[in-house]
Amino acid sequence: MSDFLFELGIQEVPVSEIKPIMGQLKNMFQLKLQENLVEFGEIETAATNKRFMLYFSKINERANDKEEQVKGPAKRIAYDENGKPTIALQKFLESNKVELSDLKELDTPKGTYLVVEKKIEGRPTNMILKEIIPTILKELTFSKTMVWNASRVNFIRPVKNLLALFDNRLISIEFAGHHSTSFTYGHILLSDGPVEVKSYREYCELLSKNFVILREDERKEKILSEIKDIEDEYKAHVRMDSHMLEDYIYNNEYPVVFCGEFDKKYLELPQEIISAFMINEKKLMPVFDKSNKLLNIFVGVSNIPDENHYVETGNERVIRATFEDAKFFWDNDRKDDFLALRGDLVNVTFHKDLGNFHEKSERIASLVEFLVKETNNFLLLEPLRDAAYHCKNDLVTRMVREFPSLQGIMGGLYMKEMDINPVTWKAVYGHYEPKGFGTAAMEDIGAGLLSMADKIDNAAAFLSKGMKISSSKDPYGIRRDANGIIKVIIDFKLEFNMNNFIRHAALKFGGDNEEIINDISQKLKELFLSRIENVFKDFLKIRYDVVNSILSSDDFNIYKMYMRANDVLKIVKTPSIEGLVALHRRLKNITKGSPIYNVTEDALVEKEEKLLFDVFKESKARIETSLLEHKYLDGCSQFLEMKPFIDSFFDKVMVNAEDRKLRENRIAFVQRLDQLLSKITDFSLIVEQ
Amino acid sequence: MSLQDIILKLQEYWANNGCYIASGYDNEVGAGTMTPDTFFRVLGKKPWKVAYWQPSRRPDDGRYAQNPNRVQKHNQFQVIMKPVPPDGQYLYLKSLQYLGVDIHNHDIKFDEDNWASPSLGAWGVGWQVMCDGLEISQFTYFQQAGGIELNPNSMEITYGIERLAAFLDVKNSIYDLEWGNHVTYAHLRTEEERQFSIYNFEYADIKLLRNLYSMYQKEATRLVAADLYLPAFDYVLKCSHTFNILDARKAVSVAERNVFMATMRNLAGAIAQKYVEATDNETRNEANHE
Repeated sequence: MSDFLFELGIQEVPVSEIKPIMGQLKNMFQLKLQENLVEFGEIETAATNKRFMLYFSKINERANDKEEQVKGPAKRIAYDENGKPTIALQKFLESNKVELSDLKELDTPKGTYLVVEKKIEGRPTNMILKEIIPTILKELTFSKTMVWNASRVNFIRPVKNLLALFDNRLISIEFAGHHSTSFTYGHILLSDGPVEVKSYREYCELLSKNFVILREDERKEKILSEIKDIEDEYKAHVRMDSHMLEDYIYNNEYPVVFCGEFDKKYLELPQEIISAFMINEKKLMPVFDKSNKLLNIFVGVSNIPDENHYVETGNERVIRATFEDAKFFWDNDRKDDFLALRGDLVNVTFHKDLGNFHEKSERIASLVEFLVKETNNFLLLEPLRDAAYHCKNDLVTRMVREFPSLQGIMGGLYMKEMDINPVTWKAVYGHYEPKGFGTAAMEDIGAGLLSMADKIDNAAAFLSKGMKISSSKDPYGIRRDANGIIKVIIDFKLEFNMNNFIRHAALKFGGDNEEIINDISQKLKELFLSRIENVFKDFLKIRYDVVNSILSSDDFNIYKMYMRANDVLKIVKTPSIEGLVALHRRLKNITKGSPIYNVTEDALVEKEEKLLFDVFKESKARIETSLLEHKYLDGCSQFLEMKPFIDSFFDKVMVNAEDRKLRENRIAFVQRLDQLLSKITDFSLIVEQ
Repeated sequence: MSLQDIILKLQEYWANNGCYIASGYDNEVGAGTMTPDTFFRVLGKKPWKVAYWQPSRRPDDGRYAQNPNRVQKHNQFQVIMKPVPPDGQYLYLKSLQYLGVDIHNHDIKFDEDNWASPSLGAWGVGWQVMCDGLEISQFTYFQQAGGIELNPNSMEITYGIERLAAFLDVKNSIYDLEWGNHVTYAHLRTEEERQFSIYNFEYADIKLLRNLYSMYQKEATRLVAADLYLPAFDYVLKCSHTFNILDARKAVSVAERNVFMATMRNLAGAIAQKYVEATDNETRNEANHE
C-alpha cells in the first residue's frame, strides 16, 4: 500500500467558496482514480482560506490490470474454404501478437466475429496522478475567477504552492505556471517562509509547529471553548451567527478569541444597529447579558495570539469609529420626515421591467388589505395600510443605502422614533421576515401579513416577466419568498383560499387581460404547490405519500393542508389504514372516467343502497362539522363507521347495472362517497409501508 | 511615526523595489486608481512599476471633522506593478515591516473585497487588508480597465495613509496625528473637512453642478473624437467628481445614477481604446526600429 498527500496552497480564498472547492476536489480525485482503476481507502481532507489538503493513507501503487477485448475480422472472412486463416486474420494475429489458440468467437447481430482477450497491465499510480492533478485543477469551477500571470489560467485566486507526494516522493506537475515542490507554507505571519515536507506525518507536525491548526473541527472547538470562557467570565452569552462562525473557522489558521469593550454611550443606539455594524462591518460578535440586554463588550477572532492585547485595543478603536459612523447615519436620517420619503420611491427602481418602489408599495397595500379581510383581522386594516405605504421608505435612507441588510428594520425604528402606531412600525420592522421556512417562529401578526403581501408581489412580478426558476437558479429568491409565506400561514394559523390571494396578486400584473392573469395565477399556483411539497417533506418531515395525498385535493388552503397532513400522518399509523386505502381505491376505480352525475334518492331501489344512503346523509353532516373544526381524525372514524354499510352495498348491489338510469344513479352515489372521503385526503395514494 | 514619515518610507521602500516614484495627479480624483499613471499604464503590454502619494476626494465620506476615521479628502499611497510579481503579498507584508509594523503581534488579514469602478469600466479581484480590525490597505489584481481585458495583469496596492498612521501612532482619531515636524493633522485639516462637509452635503448648487457635469461630458466627448484622449480623460475625472458631489447632496436618483455611470463608463472605454491603439502602434514602431 502507498500513500498520497496533496496540498494546494493559495492566496486567501473567500470563505463561501472553500467548501464547494474542497467538495469538488474530493469528488474529482475519487472519480478520476476510479476511472483509472486505482483502488484507495478513506480520504482525509482539510481546508483553510489558504490551503486545500487531501490525504490518501491507503492507495494502490499501481492501477488494476485490465482485460480488454480486441475485435478481429468476421468469422466468414477469417478462414478460406480450406479452413486456413485468410490474410485478414493473419494480419490481426500479427498486430496483436497472439496465436490462433487465443482466439474466441463473439456472436453479434451482424454475425460471428473473432476476438482476443488482452490483459493490459495497470500503470503506476504516480504516473496517473501526474496526469490527473492538472486536469482536476483545470476543471474546478468557481463563482468568480481571475487571471494573474502569463499562464492566463482562470482560477479563484493566485496559486502559492503545489505539494504532491506519492510515497513521500514528489510528483512533478505543472499548473498555472507553478511547478510542484515538496514545500509548504506555515502561518502567514508567524512562520519564516516555506518548509520542506518529507512525509504526511512531517507535514502535520511542521504545520502544527508553524502555527497552523489544520483540522476544521479543531479550530472550531478552540474558538467555541474560548468563547465559552468569556461567557463564563462575564456571565453573558454570545449570540453566534452561523456565517460568522464559518468565517472565523476558515479565515484563521491559528484562531484566538479576543474580547474588547466600548463606551457605554453607544448603547443608546438601537441594538439592531449596533449588532449589524459589529457583525457586518467588523466581524465582531455582540454579547448579551442573561436578560438579553446588549453589553458594551464584543468578541472577535484573531489569527494570532494576543498576549500584548494589541488586537483587542486595535479593535476597540475601530469599533468606536464604526459606531460614530452609525450614529452619523442614525442622527442624519432622523432629521428627514420619514413619511415624506415615500415620494422619493418613484426614483427607486424595483426592477428595470417592473416599475418603481412607489408602485410596489401601492400593490402591497392592496394585497395586505385583502389579507386583513380574508383572515378577519379588520382592526389591523388602517395601521397595516399605512405600514404598506411606508414599508419601503427606508430604501432611500443613508443607513439602508450603506447597510442593505437593515432594510425594514430601519424603517420600523425610524417610525418608532416618530411615535407612530406600534402595529404599523412593528409590521414595517419585521416585514422582511421570515427569510425562508427554517427560521424562528414569527411573533407579530402585522409583520406576517405585510410580509406575505410583499413576498407574493415579488413572486407575481417576476413570474409575470416569464422569469424561470429551477432548483439551481432562483436569482430573485422567489422560492424562499414562497417558503416564507407558507411559514407565516402556519405560524399564525391563517385560513384562507390561496387561489383568491394568488389571483389578487396576479391582477396587478395582468391588467384587464384575463388570459395573462390566468397564466400568472397558474404559475404562482405551481410555485406554491411545489414549495408546499418541499416544506412538508423536507422541513416538517412528513411522509411523501401523505404529502402527495394532501396535494391532490382541490381545497387550496395551506393551513388546512398542514392540519390535514398532521392528522393523516396519525391515521396512517392506525390499523384501519389498510381497509381505508383499499376502500378509497375501490371508490376511485368504480367512478374512474365517469362524468359527475346527480344522485336521486327515489331512484335507489335495493335495500342496501337505501340503508347506506340514510347512513350517509346523517354521517356527512357530522363529518363535515368535524372537518370544519380541523378534527380530521374524528372525521375519519366517522367515515369508517359507514364502512360495514358500504361493504354490504358493494356485496349486494351491482353498480354497473344494465339500466342506464340505475347505473348512473349508483355511480353518482359512489362519487359522493369519494368526494366526502377525499375531503380528508386521497387515501388511494397512501403506500403500504 | 508621522504621516510624512510614512509617505517617505513607502516611497523609499517601493523605489528600492523597482518603482518609479511619481507625483500625485493635479485633478480631483476619488482614488489613486483614477490617475493616468494607473488608468492608462495598466493597459497594453508594456511593464510598469510606479508608486505615488495621491490625495483622494470622497465627498460622501465627509463627517464635518467629527468622525475619528472618516474624511472627505484622505491620502492614499498607490503602488502598481505590471506584470504581477509572484511574491506580491510577501512584498506587501515586508513593506509593513519596513514601516515598523510588528507583524508577529498584529492580526493582519486579507479579507475578500473585490474592487470595481463602474464609472471607469474597471474591476479587479482582491482583498482589503485588515490590521487589528482596521482596514489599512486595498490589494487588487486588476482584470479589466476601460472595459478592456488586461494582459498582463497588474497588482495594485493602495495604502490608506491616515489609517496606517493612526494605527502606527496608536491614536484614537486621525485628528490627533502629526503630519510632520510638529504640524498636526487637526491644524491642517479640521476647517477644511468642516467646510467641505457643509458644501458637499448642504450647500453645493445642484443646478450648477448638473450644468457643469453636462459641459464636462460634452468636452470629453469632443476631445475623444479629436484623438486627444489625455485631456479627454481629465474631463471624465471632472465628471466623476461632480457626480460624487451631486450624490453626496442626495440629488441623484437610482435610475439617474445608472445613466451617469453609463456615460462615464462609455467615455472611459473610448479613451482606453484610443490609448491602446496609440501605444500598440508605438510598440510596433519601436520593434521596427530594432
